[in-house]
Amino acid sequence: MTDSLLAKSIDKILEKTEKEILVNLENSFSDAKQTLDDSIPKLEQEFDKIISDGKKEADKIEKQIIGSSDLEVRNKQLLTLEIAIDKVFTKALEQIANTNRSADYSNLMKTLLDESTKILSTTKVIVSTNSKDKDLVQSLLSKYPGAELSSQTINCLGGVVVKSKDGAMKFDNTLDARIQRLKPLIRKEIATKFGVGN
Amino acid sequence: MAAKGRIVWVSGPAVKADGMSDAKMYETVVVGNSKLVGEVIRLTGDVAFIQVYESTSGLKPGEPVVGTGNPLSVLLGPGIIGQIYDGIQRPLKELSKASGSFIGRGITTTPVDMIKKYHFVPTISNGDNVAAGNVIGTVQETDLIVHSIMVPPDHPGGKISNMVSEGDYNLETVLATTEKDGEKIPLKMYHRWPVRKPRPYQNRYDPTVPLLTGQRVIDTFFPIAKGGTGSIPGAFGTGKTVTLHQIAKWADSQVVVYIGCGERGNEMTEVLVEFPHLKDPRSGKPLMDRTVLVANTSNMPVAAREASIYTGVTIAEYYRDMGYDVVLVADSTSRWAESLREMSGRLEEMPAEEGYPSYLASRLAEFYERAGRVKAVGSPDRDGSVTLVGAVSPSGGDFTEPVTTHTMRFIKTFWALDAKLAYSRHYPSINWMNSYSGYLGDIAKWWGENINSDWLSLRSEAYGVLQREDTLKEIVRLLGPEALPDEEKLILEVARMLKIGLLQQNSFDDVDTYCSPQKQYKLLKLLVEFNRRGQQALKEGASLADIRAMPIVTTLLKARMDIKDNEISKLDQLDIDMKEQFKSIIGVKVTN
Amino acid sequence: MTAKGGVQYSKIAEIKGPLVVVDDVENAAFDELVEIETKEGERRLGKVLEVGNGKAIVQVFEGTTGLSISGTSAKFVGKLMEMPVSKEVLGRVFDGLGRPKDGLPDPIADKFIDINGEPMNPEQREYPKDFIQTGVSVIDGMITLVRGQKLPIFSGSGMSHNILAAQIARQANVVGTKDDFAVVFAAIGVQYSEAEYFRRSLEESGALKRSVLFLNTADDPAIERIITPRVALTVAEYLAFDLGMHVLVILTDMTNYAEALREISAAREEVPGRKGYPGYLYTDLSTIYERAGKLNGRKGSVTQVPILSMPSDDITHPIPDLTGYITEGQVVLGRDLFRQGVYPPINILMSLSRLMKDGIGAGSTREDHSEISNQVYDAYSRAQEVRALAGIVGKAGLTDIDLKYMDVGDVFEKEFLTQATDENRTIEETLTILWKIVSKLPKNEITKIKDKYVDQYYQEN
Repeated sequence: MTDSLLAKSIDKILEKTEKEILVNLENSFSDAKQTLDDSIPKLEQEFDKIISDGKKEADKIEKQIIGSSDLEVRNKQLLTLEIAIDKVFTKALEQIANTNRSADYSNLMKTLLDESTKILSTTKVIVSTNSKDKDLVQSLLSKYPGAELSSQTINCLGGVVVKSKDGAMKFDNTLDARIQRLKPLIRKEIATKFGVGN
Repeated sequence: MAAKGRIVWVSGPAVKADGMSDAKMYETVVVGNSKLVGEVIRLTGDVAFIQVYESTSGLKPGEPVVGTGNPLSVLLGPGIIGQIYDGIQRPLKELSKASGSFIGRGITTTPVDMIKKYHFVPTISNGDNVAAGNVIGTVQETDLIVHSIMVPPDHPGGKISNMVSEGDYNLETVLATTEKDGEKIPLKMYHRWPVRKPRPYQNRYDPTVPLLTGQRVIDTFFPIAKGGTGSIPGAFGTGKTVTLHQIAKWADSQVVVYIGCGERGNEMTEVLVEFPHLKDPRSGKPLMDRTVLVANTSNMPVAAREASIYTGVTIAEYYRDMGYDVVLVADSTSRWAESLREMSGRLEEMPAEEGYPSYLASRLAEFYERAGRVKAVGSPDRDGSVTLVGAVSPSGGDFTEPVTTHTMRFIKTFWALDAKLAYSRHYPSINWMNSYSGYLGDIAKWWGENINSDWLSLRSEAYGVLQREDTLKEIVRLLGPEALPDEEKLILEVARMLKIGLLQQNSFDDVDTYCSPQKQYKLLKLLVEFNRRGQQALKEGASLADIRAMPIVTTLLKARMDIKDNEISKLDQLDIDMKEQFKSIIGVKVTN
Repeated sequence: MTAKGGVQYSKIAEIKGPLVVVDDVENAAFDELVEIETKEGERRLGKVLEVGNGKAIVQVFEGTTGLSISGTSAKFVGKLMEMPVSKEVLGRVFDGLGRPKDGLPDPIADKFIDINGEPMNPEQREYPKDFIQTGVSVIDGMITLVRGQKLPIFSGSGMSHNILAAQIARQANVVGTKDDFAVVFAAIGVQYSEAEYFRRSLEESGALKRSVLFLNTADDPAIERIITPRVALTVAEYLAFDLGMHVLVILTDMTNYAEALREISAAREEVPGRKGYPGYLYTDLSTIYERAGKLNGRKGSVTQVPILSMPSDDITHPIPDLTGYITEGQVVLGRDLFRQGVYPPINILMSLSRLMKDGIGAGSTREDHSEISNQVYDAYSRAQEVRALAGIVGKAGLTDIDLKYMDVGDVFEKEFLTQATDENRTIEETLTILWKIVSKLPKNEITKIKDKYVDQYYQEN
């Protein structure tokens, strides 16, 4: 190979390389430009997203806080009301427990006994009551053939518990049980007096 | 004398009472302090087994049971049309007056307004002799229904006296008195009939007249005849109810009895809301003027569901006896069968398949046997029909379950709904390979006389294409569509066109919801012609791609929606267009 | 309500499964509420299933574990089971029998309502037609929910039904109205974490104060599940029809309910129907599902979204099967889509909303809604067929038009179906995507849409 040929070849290669470099440069420039162009809206989107996510999160937290604080306040009200109801209730029970055993009371006892023997459809029963009412009940029982007074007293405000002699049936007709059953209605009444509820 | 007993046992809708030795089988009884309605379904010693038509919550042993002396009956007279009843003919509107938005218990009502006056026109006079079934006069019940007042079918007949003159009377007015062997019987506008006893007729006719429903896949492919029986089984979501509603809306009968038996509440509401606004395509009057609804929805007491079918069919027979064509739609007989199963279980009867009682088949047979086109009892001559269409809700969509298999033994038209078609929104999803009609031959004569003599052969040709497609689809599934020659590819294309352009029908589209027999015939003819000309064109060198690209293809597919019933001459123009387009793709004249 | 109570009977004849048989009972009514007292004084609730000939069969909600023949007594309370209701139930959490579970006192009752409810008179129903925008495209566009509808979600174990239900509960509203709404959530035998997910989701959206929760979790007594949906619906009906609110009820998982029913039926030795479920399963389920709707002359509505998991994803299993016959459509989740990570993984071909037709169209959504959704159903169904075919003959064996349908399937799943759990799309956005899908097809493939809508909305490529 001659020098001139060599030089020519080198020139060619150089030229080719130069071109390639140029092309590459151009390419990378346009690529870079493209990337830059692309990234601007992307960045903007990203930025928007960060802001909107933050806003969403904030909205969510705000809703949550408002929602739960409303609820908390309401629940505290419910609890306070319940304490008040309990107080009224306890007071009422005390009053009932301390009622004088008058003629009215004797009639009430008789009604309770009537009801109980009717519902058990027998008068052959064992009747229990508290120590205070023992004598009253004993005096009433003569009208119910077969009925006996239990020797054991029970702890209650008043009224009776009536059992069949075999013990298979029991009817709780104490004042406590009756009040317990009426409690939801009484609570509503008290709540209304406090100006809450429906 | 009426039985008076006491409840001894309660479990759901089943109650046992003792002291009932005077009770009769199927006697209606009043149960408990809240006076619930029940029916005696078994007697053992002095213990009666009672199915109660209302909720038994709170019922206690010891409460009274009193017999009424009468079997479960319906009141038949003017005022029934347009009503919505529960399973034992209590009007739901009256129940709501007594108990508001929810159905209370122990409410007594009369099935129709007994005080409302109707204009009565007598058709016989004093001194005439009447027999059971004779018409003594008519009243205009609704705009569409002239109600014949008939001597009850179980009446001994006799000589008429005290006949009232034409005028306005209510249901309790004595219109005339019959006298026979010294016994005088008053005739009123109504009578009662026990629901479990079919009403008598003189004789039965063959079913030769199609019941036109305006639904192409029914009328053209799987028709039902007036007085015939049909069944429509399908898994949920296959469009059973929509199809039944379509039949109730558009069938060319004069009276429709729609029984919602253990189905959705809102569906009955839909009928109630929609029917007064829809017009009968023939008379232009509101559809409600010819419709009676019996609604015992799924959450209403199960025993009344059992009764609802009988209540409905007895009302249908009553209007049949006036000479009307009546369609009775029962949705769904499966729920009715389930109520039988539930009561049977409580009776501790020995179960047959899937817990259903062994008498399921005979009960179904008895029900479908109450269909028919008949000559009514009495004079003047009246021909009427009861067509029975029952939905079946097979569990899991399995047609081998007992209610479907037994039903198939007693019906002649079978519209098999297909979940796969429904999933691809092909509605009505009546599968053309599994459905059948036993009336095709019987009613071909009617089509020949009223529409065109080649109806049956066109139908067969179109059906042939669908059958070919069914076989070809298998090949396509295995080898792909390119494995077929063009001639067979065209079959697939025509089958697609038949499906979209004919079999499918959009019941929610104002135009497409009802299709007259004339339009059905023309659409059928166009598509069959397309097949004939297409096959011919292929032979003459046209390419399949050309055929597919013809604008007429899309036009034909949309014709069912685009061309109204009153402009069907436009369909003739399509035929001309089609011919032209075929001509242009092969460059020579296409012969017919 | 009366002060008079019931008799306590202590002759227990038999205890089997969830049932207690009491002898020598003179005074008990069918369906009556029963208080069972154990030897140790513990109280459990139950109800009478059968009474007569001196015997009462009592179903014990809290199970019979630990009960003994001697020492156990049953008190017949003299009333049916009732739920105390008032406006203050909102924001509360109850157990599966309707007793407070949040440490607060019993609600002060405005009314006591029999939990079994009474059937709505069909004549008094108002046909549901108010479009509910859930913001979930596939539901709004293809399986539209309306107020007063019962639309269940059929799911399978482990799938994203709870996430979907929670999203619906958060986003559901009727466009252009400011009516009162409420959410009633009943957890029926689900895991605690699932119930908690739901509660938190309501809390985060600030909706807890408008919600009532009934929780019977997996470790709670199974028989209680018979009661849970009923107390929940009793409260829902009260909120809707007494207070005029629009109530969305979510019941999850109804499969557990049906299993509790089966347990009782088996203990009673009843003749079983399919798969051991009682023959009256359909009727029983209907007494729950039919408690949805609207009533003439009353403001509120009860909309139900019950969730049930299909055992082995089998839609023909009696529970989804009978449910589908009662409800007004179904939303079916697909295992394939779920595996592909698609959310919500709804298989639209198997899904359906029966009340859609009256809830959409001009005046509520848009006049082209019905037809565009029909066309998309049709196209997606074709796409599935083509996909199956491509699996056999390869893409090369497909025609040009087939390929277009493949494209439809992809766009449908990627752009329409797929949606973020907090993404709330308007109905306009939803319809725009539907038209984008249909516009992948040449116009002559569009056979279900009137030309005027095609001209107006078709997006030329």
